[in-house]
Amino acid sequence: MSDDELNPVIHTPARLRIMVTLATLRDGDDLSFTGLQDVTGLTPGNLITHLRKLEDAEYVTTNKNGSGVTARTSIAITHDGRAALKEYSTVLRQLLDSAGQSQQP
Amino acid sequence: MQDSTGTDRDRNDQDLTMDPADAAAIMAEASDRARRRLQPDYRVLYAIRGVIWILGYGIIWLAVRGQHPFHGPNPGAYAAVALIAALVVVVTLGSARAETGLRGPSVLRLWAYLLSILAGVGAVFALEGALVRAGASPSVVGIFEASAPILVLGLLCFARFSAERNWALAGLGLWMVLVAAVGGYAGPATVWAVGALAVGPALLLTAAVGPRVPRA
Repeated sequence: MSDDELNPVIHTPARLRIMVTLATLRDGDDLSFTGLQDVTGLTPGNLITHLRKLEDAEYVTTNKNGSGVTARTSIAITHDGRAALKEYSTVLRQLLDSAGQSQQP
Repeated sequence: MQDSTGTDRDRNDQDLTMDPADAAAIMAEASDRARRRLQPDYRVLYAIRGVIWILGYGIIWLAVRGQHPFHGPNPGAYAAVALIAALVVVVTLGSARAETGLRGPSVLRLWAYLLSILAGVGAVFALEGALVRAGASPSVVGIFEASAPILVLGLLCFARFSAERNWALAGLGLWMVLVAAVGGYAGPATVWAVGALAVGPALLLTAAVGPRVPRA
């Protein structure tokens, strides 16, 4: 196995953080943009860039409610996103296991 | 790993690469951070509630023990308990604030639970007024006053278990219902000691067992 088998949409530090954070929410829950920014520690611009990529892959959805100062953008992980993260974790675990075995004498 | 933590985290890292060990470390750290930031620490909450419960019921028991005939707690004891109850509300609202930024079924469930507690305990006090008005003796009112809140909160705990599949809350809820059902047989004064010693430690035990609410 090689690292190439890891989903490239998720396999960056920022997007991995975003996906893992959103995956801790229950189905149906969403998190505000500022809340997600607070937890991940990303700047607004960087967060927007990565969310766009995840949204293009249909791993997250973003919804904007209200307008002006009361506007609230909320982000949620999709079922496809959860499945992709689960698959990513499985491949990652296999990679780590195989690396561990190859290091054994 | 290149640039995955610290001050470089906010860089656009779409071109950065990670090896599997780095990715695993990021997943563990991000998951831990998200849980700490987005979920109240239920162990601390239940521990605080346990201590407050023992204090509240204990104070009233100290105020009524040895009364012959039984005439109920004095206003000072009620004031102390009201203060303690206010502390519970503050702690619980603090836990709700931990979910700031969250929206959806789990937040609605939390507020529904808090409103159920307020409605249930409010109804208990209203019913107590009706009992007094109907001429119930201080002993009857005392037993009701000590047992009814335990019954209400026990049933709410059990209802929460069914919503969250949390076995610690199921055990706590059933235990509280049992204490409410049989505690009154100890009499109008001792029922407060039963409430303090049977429910308070159960809350502390629930805190130790860990009533962490699982995420779906």
